[in-house]
Amino acid sequence: MNNNSDFTEFSKQSPKGILVIYISLLYKTLKVSWILLFLFLRKFSELSNQKLFYIFMAIGVFLLFLLVRAYLDYKNFQFKIENNHFVLKQGILKKTNTSIPFDRIQNINFKQNIIQQLINVYEVSVETAGSKDTEIAIKALPFDKAQALKEQMSVKAMTAESSIIEEEKNPFLIINFKELLKVSLTENHLQSLLIFIALLFGIYQQLSDAFDGLGRKEDFDSYLDIESNAMYGSIIVFLILFVLLFIVALVSSFVRILLFHFNLTVFIKNESFEINQGLLTKKSIILKKEKVQSITVSTNPIKKKLGISFVTFKQAVSGKVNEKKNKLIRLVGCQYHQVLQIKELLFDFQSVENSEKYNSNTYFKSRMYFRSFLGLLIFNSILMVVLQNANWLWFNLILFPLVILLIRLKFKKTFYSFDDEVLLIGKGRIETHIIYLPFFKVQNIKMKQTLFQQRKDVVDIILQTASGKIKIPCIEKERATQIYNYTVYKVEKSTELWM
Amino acid sequence: MESFKNIEILDLPDITSLTFKKIHRDYLKVLLGSVCLITLVVIVALFVVNYNFQEVLPDFISYVYLGLFLVFILIILFIWIGFSRRKFSIREKDISYKSGVLIKKTTTVPFSRVQHVELDEAPISRLFKLASISVFTAGDSSDDLVIKGIKKTEALKIKEFISEKINE
Repeated sequence: MNNNSDFTEFSKQSPKGILVIYISLLYKTLKVSWILLFLFLRKFSELSNQKLFYIFMAIGVFLLFLLVRAYLDYKNFQFKIENNHFVLKQGILKKTNTSIPFDRIQNINFKQNIIQQLINVYEVSVETAGSKDTEIAIKALPFDKAQALKEQMSVKAMTAESSIIEEEKNPFLIINFKELLKVSLTENHLQSLLIFIALLFGIYQQLSDAFDGLGRKEDFDSYLDIESNAMYGSIIVFLILFVLLFIVALVSSFVRILLFHFNLTVFIKNESFEINQGLLTKKSIILKKEKVQSITVSTNPIKKKLGISFVTFKQAVSGKVNEKKNKLIRLVGCQYHQVLQIKELLFDFQSVENSEKYNSNTYFKSRMYFRSFLGLLIFNSILMVVLQNANWLWFNLILFPLVILLIRLKFKKTFYSFDDEVLLIGKGRIETHIIYLPFFKVQNIKMKQTLFQQRKDVVDIILQTASGKIKIPCIEKERATQIYNYTVYKVEKSTELWM
Repeated sequence: MESFKNIEILDLPDITSLTFKKIHRDYLKVLLGSVCLITLVVIVALFVVNYNFQEVLPDFISYVYLGLFLVFILIILFIWIGFSRRKFSIREKDISYKSGVLIKKTTTVPFSRVQHVELDEAPISRLFKLASISVFTAGDSSDDLVIKGIKKTEALKIKEFISEKINE
């Protein structure tokens, strides 16, 4: 081991880290103040030279302040390895000293955003399970140092694992650009559209808040009103809008898939997955077999034709499950045999797939019908009151059959089946999701019964895992009790570690 | 699959045949007391407002009182019925809790999955020497198992028991 990878003494990150910290600070301030900047640019011509000078001065001083701050951040960020603990000192005014024992480390991941790619440094993030906010990121390390740090921490963490075999095997899965295109075309476009709209809505909120602050809300709203009035009424405009939305959805799916999953490569090493992906932010994740709590295999009708499906790995999450987005690991575009291989590595699934499938009680369907129709009724009455006319009622002709279709599909796709080790749960409407959950990964189990369910003698089962809840809706109480008892028994008998 | 249903299921510990224990009856006083206290505060606030702004208040203020009274009765009723349904049971390897009026819930947490145990004493409960036990597991720990209204001495024993089981 050369001097470069000695971590027994406190060491700092690469000096390039100053740049990385500086730019991330800049980005953060821009994110909260872009609206001010936008307003400033609009008023640009109205300002006198003297005022402009002051404003530029202020901005200059602020930028300098950020630079100093970045330097101090860098200067005060030190880490070392000491008797199987990762020790970190950080903070300019408020000093914190964190120490993480190796066996609490869940993952050590590499990440590269666009700046880090340009100056060729890696961000090393250390994920822990259990404790709440000990998520540590070392912003800038050269590759060899990052690799050395990771090896020293993971070798010591896994004493059972004899040695890390560093042979470059053939990748288990490579998704090239063409396949990625295929994947993105078959995405759930509605979801992409919703995400896109949510993004737009966020920006709209920010803009309207800003206008509100200036007492010019009317201007902004009236501007929008003109737009929406012009749109109103004509079906042709409606159709054009529909096509437009469809294109937007398509493009946003494509961009989303491309950004996250560009150049997706998966290796299988030592019973763990190494996953590399990302365009602007490259991520490298090592996923150990025993950390996986459950997996979901998803597909939809078009994907099925093309023979591809998604595999989503769920890992243990610390604290709230809200920020689960980062911990979800999705492999897009797996071929059928690759899915088989993944399942084979994780657990014995053969018998569960051949065992009998049980559907939810028909009460589940009635409940969905009741709830949806009630919702539609309320929606219609509110529209009636707001719009004060009945021209839009034809819209229900499309909406009702759609809702009925979706409910029927959902009911058909909701099933469960089990063998001695694994519970299989199917769900989905247009897409089909199949969840594989080994019994011993369950943390606690809940049985719920409403008054209405009591009359039909059905219950909901909620299985809580370290990566979130899994629900089996409306099954007969007798069978639910069996599953309940069996799960509890399995968890209590198992000697395997759930993590 | 077949084996699971026919043979193994027979000697599995069964949750439905478990004898559940009711929580301490003093806790009903705590629940009713706190509801009364909150209602009292609301009524006093309403009275003060009513007295000072008599001319501005609309005529239907008496209906507000009536509505409040009905809600109060309803809550008391729910607490009364719900109270007798709050039951818990501790086996050698797990802890279970049942509750609910409109929605009946049963939860079981195996000790081998418990992250930590907490014992809390709320202000009014403390007057009756009652405590609550919270059991946390990994994952979204917002609604794991909480048993309110156990005698503090008993709660301490339970906590000790579970802690011992975790460290095994």
